[in-house]
Amino acid sequence: MISMIEFTDITAWIHSLLLSVMTPTWTYIVELALSGVTALVVLLVCVIIMVYMERKVAGFMQLRWGPNRVGPYGIFQVIADVIKLLLKESFSPNRADKVMFNIAPALALCVSLMALAPISWAPGLTMWDTNIGILFITAISSMGVIGILMAGWSSNNKYSLIGAMRSGAQIVSYELSAGLSIVTAVALAGTLSTTGIIQSQADGWWILKGQIPAIIAFLIYVIASTAECNRAPFDLAEAESELTAGYHTEYAGMQFGIFYLNEYINMAIVSIIASTLFLGGWMPFHLPFDYPVVHTFNYIMDFIPTWMWFFGKMFLIIFFMMWFRWTFPRLRIDQLLKLEWKYLLPISIVNLLFAAVIIVLHWHL
Amino acid sequence: MNASTVIFYVLGSLVLVFGAMTVFSRRIFRAAVYLLFSLISVAGIYLLWGMDFIAALQIIIYVGGIVVLIIFSIFLTQRSGEKLPPPIQKRLVWSGILAVSGLGLTSWIVYNYLFSASTLPIVEPTVHNIGEQMLSYSKYGYVFPFEVINILLLAALVGSIVIAMKKKETKTTDETTHITK
Amino acid sequence: MKSLFNYIKEVVYAFVSLAKGLLLTLRYFVTIRKVNITEEYPNNRTTTISVKERFYGEVVLPHDENNEHKCTACTLCQIACPNNSIQIISKQIETEDGKKKRVLDKWVYHLDSCTLCYQCIDACPQDAIEMKNSFELSVYDRTKLIYQLNRPGSKLKEKPTVKEQQS
Repeated sequence: MISMIEFTDITAWIHSLLLSVMTPTWTYIVELALSGVTALVVLLVCVIIMVYMERKVAGFMQLRWGPNRVGPYGIFQVIADVIKLLLKESFSPNRADKVMFNIAPALALCVSLMALAPISWAPGLTMWDTNIGILFITAISSMGVIGILMAGWSSNNKYSLIGAMRSGAQIVSYELSAGLSIVTAVALAGTLSTTGIIQSQADGWWILKGQIPAIIAFLIYVIASTAECNRAPFDLAEAESELTAGYHTEYAGMQFGIFYLNEYINMAIVSIIASTLFLGGWMPFHLPFDYPVVHTFNYIMDFIPTWMWFFGKMFLIIFFMMWFRWTFPRLRIDQLLKLEWKYLLPISIVNLLFAAVIIVLHWHL
Repeated sequence: MNASTVIFYVLGSLVLVFGAMTVFSRRIFRAAVYLLFSLISVAGIYLLWGMDFIAALQIIIYVGGIVVLIIFSIFLTQRSGEKLPPPIQKRLVWSGILAVSGLGLTSWIVYNYLFSASTLPIVEPTVHNIGEQMLSYSKYGYVFPFEVINILLLAALVGSIVIAMKKKETKTTDETTHITK
Repeated sequence: MKSLFNYIKEVVYAFVSLAKGLLLTLRYFVTIRKVNITEEYPNNRTTTISVKERFYGEVVLPHDENNEHKCTACTLCQIACPNNSIQIISKQIETEDGKKKRVLDKWVYHLDSCTLCYQCIDACPQDAIEMKNSFELSVYDRTKLIYQLNRPGSKLKEKPTVKEQQS
């Protein structure tokens, strides 16, 4: 590797700086708070970029310009929208279950943010480097449906309730095929830790090394995670032509804003996981062959910094999800369930078996 | 008293308080949500003890599976948004007495049992080790319970498919009668 | 076996058809500068803006270069108008050879109550009035929406005599 400032150097410097002014316990607490705030800020910046990107992508795919009034190329549109949301009144309907109604957005946001903990951002930069990283994220994302169900129930509105039911059915069923594709990648890597999975791709990403099963698992994961994020073409939970706005019909102001933020945070996390599992997270693009040309190529690839790889892959998968959203029409509920139970689930089970055969016979590179 | 003790007591009281609220709440949906918080706190205690794998499984199975299923069934029941009627006094007394005696019995057993520390070597909860333990047929291997649960789940799957399966003949006759009407 | 083959065929066909749609939107995304259909209205009002000819904006009374119009003040348009948006005020004048003749004095058009139904134009026997595709018609005061369509000093265009037509 070329000599440049690594993130580990920065964290070590902050650690020694804090140790010189306070006790180890306080250092630990301050570091916890600092890492949490940093991750949150990075994520919020990503969300702002994503909202702007979504509108521009939507516009370009529909032969329009997208936002172009507030600031050059409309870059301040998102900030204007956030200010508008902050200034609006948040109120709860008269006969709603007020406590649940107000807890629901916060709970949904907390659950999505918890999934940030085991993510490996850069070499040596992981908030909670546990050996069950991916399993923890799967567990947390299965909790994500609770906030939606609470919101839909407590609004005391039939549209919200139907939206929440649909969303719940959708998330619970698509969890299966998403989980099975994660298992395929985990079986290839042989570990559940995010850092371990990324390190196992040092000589090539799993989507290249893992033969056909890895490609199929990647496709199924992208489809299933689009469904888990309740995004079009799987946005039945908030199908505006039938259900007004689904589970957040009754929410206004920043409470709605939190649900909106939550959708984008989920998208970011799902794309980070997809890139960690199949595209090597922060790992540069390396080819798994033993030729001098390939070695030179791998060496050149190392010059691109890791954070660029990480965010590049993340935004690539986010772009895929936006591309799907602005291309495909919305599915009906029976089509949605048929897709999962008759196509994705059998295919991913068979795919997992194939992956197991390949791993046992050492056919992967 | 160090931080982990404090966190343990906080989590333990959360488990107990939310468990009690689950039982005493007269709104059935809120009871389900309190149950959820109680189960999450249990997962927190597992995390505190360093058993990350068990904590993740607790969340996947209990929170992501069972509580969501309970909430779904609540959604499908009639008039579940209203408060349940207050319980009958006589039943309240009897169930209280039974619950307290059950608690007494359990705590008596727990206090009188001598918990001895395990002498088995600690197994790191990596995927590899978990897989080996799951399918190991040597001593302390889990292959027998694993297979028994497999058969149970398979039976449940087949049973649910049989229940959900439509009989084609009866369906067509139904349609024809409907049209003739 | 055949059903399995059909199943796989269905999956592959689904992916192919989805890919077709994706490629179309990707082409739009990449070539947005060429295929974009947005009218950037206030910016292009002096340059590239185009409104279709058939758009009904307002009724006009065209005048030629001699400041002459074709309206004979027959009031057929006023009768045809379903909501009284047209008022034809005529006056009697004496021609050179001493005949009395009724000519147009004021062609008053109430755009505020006009529904742009085209019935006046259909009713006009002289094809004197027509519909224009102008669209920047908003004003700050409702009273400003009452127009007089004939220009000051304009007069009726004389019909060419038979002789002139032949020559």
